[in-house]
Order: sequence, then C-alpha cells, then structure tokens
Amino acid sequence: MKIQVLKIGIPSKGRLKDKSLSLFKKNKINIKSIKRSYISEIKNFKKNEVVFSHAREIIERLSDGLIDIGISGFDLLNESLPGIKKNIKIYKHLNFGFSELVVAIPKDWIDVQTIADLEEISFNFKNKNSGKLRIATKYPNLTNDFLTSKGVTQYKIVNSLGATEIYPFTNQSEIITDITSTGSTLKANKLRILKDGLILKSSACILLSKKSLRDKNKKLLLFKFLKKIK
Amino acid sequence: MKSKKYSEVLLNQFKKKGFKAKNFDNIIESKIIIERSGELFKKSLLSFEDDDGKNFSLRPDLTISACLHYLKNIKRGEYKYTYFDQAYRRTFGKESLVRNQLGCEIIGSSSKLADKEIINLIDSSLSKLIKNKTVIKINDLKLFNSLVDSLKLPLRWKLRLKRHFWRPEYFKALLSRLETGSDLKKNIFELDKKAYLKMKKFNKNQKIAGRKITEILKRFQKKISEPRSNIDGKKISKIVKEYLKIDCKLKDAQQTLRNFEDKHNLNLKLGKFNLFKLDIKNKDVTFSTNTGRSVEYYTGLVFEIYKKSKNTNLASGGRYDNLMEILGAKRKIPAIGGAINYDNLLKI
Repeated sequence: MKIQVLKIGIPSKGRLKDKSLSLFKKNKINIKSIKRSYISEIKNFKKNEVVFSHAREIIERLSDGLIDIGISGFDLLNESLPGIKKNIKIYKHLNFGFSELVVAIPKDWIDVQTIADLEEISFNFKNKNSGKLRIATKYPNLTNDFLTSKGVTQYKIVNSLGATEIYPFTNQSEIITDITSTGSTLKANKLRILKDGLILKSSACILLSKKSLRDKNKKLLLFKFLKKIK
Repeated sequence: MKSKKYSEVLLNQFKKKGFKAKNFDNIIESKIIIERSGELFKKSLLSFEDDDGKNFSLRPDLTISACLHYLKNIKRGEYKYTYFDQAYRRTFGKESLVRNQLGCEIIGSSSKLADKEIINLIDSSLSKLIKNKTVIKINDLKLFNSLVDSLKLPLRWKLRLKRHFWRPEYFKALLSRLETGSDLKKNIFELDKKAYLKMKKFNKNQKIAGRKITEILKRFQKKISEPRSNIDGKKISKIVKEYLKIDCKLKDAQQTLRNFEDKHNLNLKLGKFNLFKLDIKNKDVTFSTNTGRSVEYYTGLVFEIYKKSKNTNLASGGRYDNLMEILGAKRKIPAIGGAINYDNLLKI
C-alpha cells in the first residue's frame, strides 16, 4: 500500500506565519526548526511534510490537491476564482488574522459618504473626463462583486501589488479597496472608509483540500491530525 | 441539419430585404468594451494580453461587432447588417462559452420606418419556420424616463432611477431605499461641515485624487440643500411599481397611459412617442412597460417576440442610439437591431 504523506501548508511570512506556528505549538504539534528552508515536518505525527508558502499559493495548492490542509485567509479564499474555491472546504475559522476589506476614498472628498455617492460621482468621471473612476486593489474579484451588487458599474480596476494606500495620491487611481485591521494606515495616508464600504470581514482559516477528502486513507490521516488542533 | 436549414432561411429572408451578410473580427480590444460597460461586463470577457501588454477579447456580442465594422468601413449613412456567427463569453460553468448569434441591424437610421422594418422582418421570418403564431411585446424605454422626469424627486434620484432601470434586481433595491428614506440623513453632513468650511479656503483649482476642490464643494452644497424631507418616497415608489405593471394591447396603450397620468397627476408627454402609431403587421402586439430591461445599451423602442402557445422567447431587440458614440463615433449614429434566440428556436 502506498504510504500516505500528509502535506500541510503554512504561510511563509508575517503575522499569519507567527500565529499559525503559535497555534501548532499550543496544541503540542512540534515542527522541526527550519531556519531558512521552506520545507519542514512535524516531529510527533505520522509521515508528513510542512510547506511554507505564500498565503495565496496555499489556496491554489489546496485546490489542486498538492497540499491536503493549510492555513490561509478567508479573504484570499473568497478572492479566488470559483473554479478554485469549489475545491476547498473551510474546516474552521481561527481566532487570529482578523481584518476587513473596505472601500476607502480620499478623506477630503467630503461629499462622498456612501456607496450611493460613489456610484453618482463615478458617472461624473465618465461624462467629464471620458474615462472611468479607477480603483486600485489587490482584490479585484471581491471588489467587482461588491460594487456591482451596490449598483456601481462605471469604474476600472487597477491591479495593485502593494502600498495600495498611496495610489490615489500618485495619480495611479482615485480610490482603493484594501485590507485593514485598525484603519490607522488608511488614516495616515489621508484615506477614509465609506460608511457602508465594508466588503468582507476576514480571519485566518483552516482549509482542507476536497481532493484529499475524496481519498479515504488521506481523509483518515487528515482527521487524525485535526483532532490535535483544539 | 435543422440548425443549418433555419439559419439559411432566416439569412435569406434578411438578405432579400437588402441586409448584407458580413464577417466580423473575432478579436476586439477589451478597452472598447470596458469603456462601454465598465468592469461589470469585463468579467464575462474571454481575454488575453499580447506581447505589448494590450488586452484583447474574443467578440462577446455581434451587435458590438457590427457597430465596430460600421465605424471602420462604412462610416456614413444607413447600412443594414445581417449575421450568423459565434460570440464568446465566460459563463462560469452555467452555459456554453460559445453562443450562436443570428441577427440583423440597421445602423445610421433614426427613422420609425427602420423600427417597423426590423420588427416586421424578424417576426415574418420566424413565421416561415414555425407553425405557431407569434406574439410581440413592445415598450419604449424613453417612456420610463418621461415618467421619472414628471415625478417630484431630486435630480440625483431621477438620474439614479434612469441609470439602473436596465438592472431589475438592483432597481428593486433602489426603490426600497426610496421607500425607507434611508438614503440621505442630514446629520451625516453636519459632521463634515467643519471640513467644508476649511476646504472653502483652499485653492479651488487644486485637485484631490482627480477631483477639483470646486467640484467637491459644489456637490456637497447641493446635497445639503436638496429638499430631502419633502420626498414622499413611499408614494413615488408605489407609482413606479404601478407603472411597471402596465401590460395591455398596443392599441389600448395610449389610453391606459393617459388614465395612469390622470390618476397620479403626471405628464408623460405621450405626444412625443411614435410607438403608439407603429405599423406592425402582426396584430397580436402587447405593450408592456417591463419589457427590454436586460440590456444596458438600449435607449428607446424595445421588443420581444414569443411563440404564442408556449410563451417561448424567440427574438428580442431594440434601439441603441448612444452605443456608436460610446464605441468611438465622433457624432451621434442612431441604430436598431434584433437577434433571434437561436437555441430556443431549435428546441421548437
């Protein structure tokens, strides 16, 4: 019989990594010290492999079944394409990695308080500048779904890879949608969240690959491991 | 076989009336479509980037392709198109990515003769294929604009209702907002008055993220000065909902609308509309105010043709007088067109 290896994905950097490792430690799951390597293993569990990856990548690897279980953000799962999302099961929402995806505008746009205002001025952009209101974001899919559900259709997404907060003041976009936990970074960059501009509340989640769940032996191994996490 | 036979019959009918069959480009620059519909439609495009980073899409709709062909090759005067070809859209697993589209368009004509020609031609061509009788539903979207103009509403609300008429689900949500008056509360603005007074001292030409200070101040002033408390949202929503239920024979439409006007003390300016005098050969024509609300670019007359016995949609179309400008025309080029619901036709 083929030896089953449980593949576990953990975020490779930042607070999500630290909190994930703390969670494992708290539950007496001991990961071998790794220093600079991105691959490790749990000492006190059956055959396994721990892979440290970007949180977005963990979602994709869960979808194609190369990872059986992983920790990533609820926001990133929801941002992924339907074809990826459908292959992943949320096992548990965790008590860390809290954040909100919000619509933020320049604080001095005092006439814009709600999404309805935004919808209205987006048409002004169309009429006056024969262009579109530009929205910088790392979350184009969630942003599109939210805005179109609220009646905003006249805009253009500008894909951002980082420091999205400065886009409106460097003429790369007019407004942004971004993840925030306290709102202080947005405030420091002269941005303000719209009153009804909350797109999604997020936290870290334990996610399972549906492909792995379809494999009987893998499923047994997975749940044996999950029993360890309280 | 059935598919080939049907398409041949329909195309021949259209060609006999002077419609030219054209092949359109398979690929179009995505920005042309995004300029029209924003990001909403972009989701459905099958797109890719070339080596220079330019984004292209497979043609998502043949009406747009016909318009682009006219802009590139014809440029002036009236031109009649017909086509039977494939259009491509992402459907998120619901339907096929490839859709067969058969239709006809008259570009460059604002005449009511063109309206009549398109409806009669599509209806009579369909009659050659199916044994059952057809019924036509008709509407003029400008009538709704006329209704909104005669309501006692702030301009912002009028524009909002007009802008979202083509999205029935969101439109419903808008009406609820109007009923509950949850849209604008004066105390919200009080909070920003301080900022407003401060901003008044700024250089008025200075821009904040693409908007001039004068523009921001002007809109702020307009918002706080609009007579929000005078809106009887519930009453207005009731009128709009009642209007959207009007469904009668075309010959009775003018009188029905007059009665509606009298009941609510409105002026729909019915004299402006040609719809009531439209000479349609098929006498089974219904006027329905809720017809033609699914396509963003329709601007006036809209129609839908159904198989009478089973109420199956066989064709739909309408006037799109602004689309050519949005796609790059330097002047207004009116147009009307219609498409056969080919899948439904084959099922009969």
